[in-house]
Amino acid sequence: MMIMEKTRVHIIKRESGWAVKKEGNLKASKIFDNKEDAKQHSQVYKLKGHDIIIHKKDGSIERWERADKKAI
Amino acid sequence: MEDQFSHNVFINCPFDDEYRELLCPLLFTVLYCGFTPRIALERFDSAEVRIEKIRQLIEESVFSIHDLSKVKSSKKNEYYRLNMPFEFGLDLGCKLYNPDKKYKNKKSLIIEKERYAYQKALSDISNSDVKCHKGEPEDLIIEVRNWFSELGFKNLDSGSSIWDDYNFFYTDFYDEMVKKGFKDKDIQKMPIPEFLDHIELWLSKKKKSSKK
Repeated sequence: MMIMEKTRVHIIKRESGWAVKKEGNLKASKIFDNKEDAKQHSQVYKLKGHDIIIHKKDGSIERWERADKKAI
Repeated sequence: MEDQFSHNVFINCPFDDEYRELLCPLLFTVLYCGFTPRIALERFDSAEVRIEKIRQLIEESVFSIHDLSKVKSSKKNEYYRLNMPFEFGLDLGCKLYNPDKKYKNKKSLIIEKERYAYQKALSDISNSDVKCHKGEPEDLIIEVRNWFSELGFKNLDSGSSIWDDYNFFYTDFYDEMVKKGFKDKDIQKMPIPEFLDHIELWLSKKKKSSKK
């Protein structure tokens, strides 16, 4: 059986704060004033089997949190 | 060759490590909008005279982006940088004095970190329209995208979606490089021509997948 990888979720710098955005979606699911709150919110997606990519303010990678594979 | 001229964008900006966090999104945006960035870092040949290379890039590009942020030193004993205003002057000189009529169509975007900072160092252009990026990659992308729009190019994606796509591109690029054994330092210091190849490949894959 092929296991489909779930869409990655990104934490991206925005002028107004930090956005949590699923790849492929037009809009961010939520924008937070600070990065810590965005990271905390993203954990819900991680538990659902999504990789979380935390970006630095220049778009490069700060941390890549692999999904809990049991959840996939 | 003439066709390339109308798509080339001469990039005149600092080449230090600090500016790289703006340079990479800038190059991505130029390619994303359908143009070709031309930059002195695009080829490395110790035997090539730098000013000759700059002259060639200017003469081969109808568009130019000049980031004049470094006309002001940021710390004690640091020299301010004159290369960017000098190369801006060469580009402007090409437009004003070159007898070839095609250069009259040259278009420039002048951009800086702090609004109006350049006026103190380069008052000759104080009536020019200068954009400001505040040192933020997203703002830089929006300003560059909007400049292409103001030049009359249609159907451009929004600056915010280009910024998000840059983040998605960087994720794929990072993943690929790590799988090939590259360390963070290798990725951060990757030569610009190699980095440009990765952007072009990613954009062509994106284009193909959006056609399906």
